[in-house]
Amino acid sequence: MKCKHARKMISQYMDGELGLDEKKDFDLHIQSCASCREGLEEIGDLHRLLAFAKRFPAPYGFATRVLANLEEKEGSRFRRLLSIRPLFLRVAQVAMVLVVMTVGITSGNLLLAERTDLIGQTAVQETFSLDLFQATPPDSIGGIYNTLMRPSHEK
Amino acid sequence: MTFINESDLIERFKKGDPSAFEAILLRHQDRIYNLCRYMLQDPEDAQDAAQDIFLKAYRGLKDFRPDSALYTWLYRIAVNTCLDYMRKLRREAIKREPFTEDLESDEPFPELLYESAEIHDFIQLAFQKLPEKLRAAIVLREIEELSYEEIAEVLHTSLGTVKSRISRAREQLRHVLKGNGKFLEQNRLSNRLTGKGKKT
Repeated sequence: MKCKHARKMISQYMDGELGLDEKKDFDLHIQSCASCREGLEEIGDLHRLLAFAKRFPAPYGFATRVLANLEEKEGSRFRRLLSIRPLFLRVAQVAMVLVVMTVGITSGNLLLAERTDLIGQTAVQETFSLDLFQATPPDSIGGIYNTLMRPSHEK
Repeated sequence: MTFINESDLIERFKKGDPSAFEAILLRHQDRIYNLCRYMLQDPEDAQDAAQDIFLKAYRGLKDFRPDSALYTWLYRIAVNTCLDYMRKLRREAIKREPFTEDLESDEPFPELLYESAEIHDFIQLAFQKLPEKLRAAIVLREIEELSYEEIAEVLHTSLGTVKSRISRAREQLRHVLKGNGKFLEQNRLSNRLTGKGKKT
């Protein structure tokens, strides 16, 4: 093996990238060539020096900045991704809102019907004035409180 | 903490889960930033480039095919982005140490450096003297510790070219190291003290 060829193989030798035959030839050459041996030693020094090379971790807050940058540059697409939820969740959300609204409206109508029946009995069904409202209706929290707090002999 | 398979993360991202990208980002941010630091040297440039890399990754991830590892795909974006940055910085002629193409440059390091610099300062300066493509190859090999096959994949080139670039890069760095006898002696002394002198 010639020195020129051996020099090119030093790097691969260092990294264990030579085939068996190549390595054998290289070893033979190195044993007999002081110049290439010196070259190998120097590349070895370099390899060991680079083992000291510092590893730079990403600066503090880097990921947050990347995500903010993404939101700014990707805009609606990124926000849309953030707002994506499974279909069944979205359907469940809408159904829940509809149920709450229906219960509210129905119970409101029932209460109003009850009131108007009472008013009808007193022949003021067509009238709708503040007189209809009591400050503390019997089934309100205030009414219950008054009932509870009323002296027992008044009940 | 449970380890989430990377292909699962990619699938989740493709299905629209934004937390999957965040997990990928957190997993790879250090290695990508480190590569940028060695390629570009300047911390701010490195951070800008790393941000761009993850933006490109975000845009391209939906088309990612799992026939290669995610980290080699990210490294490929990173190296290309860094090379673009280096060209742009050179065009803008920012006042910094020029990236020399002169392979035989014997411009000495400042004498002060011999006496006071930390090893990584020396390494950074030595890398700065390397042409871009050689720098990318040697950083991926020596700093990121990728195999020759992985480097070929990242640089989108043949195995033979990778071998040649790493060899040439080492030869140039050896030249720099040899020209710095004091530092070499210090390195050998340090190796003996720390037991790193053994051949790996």
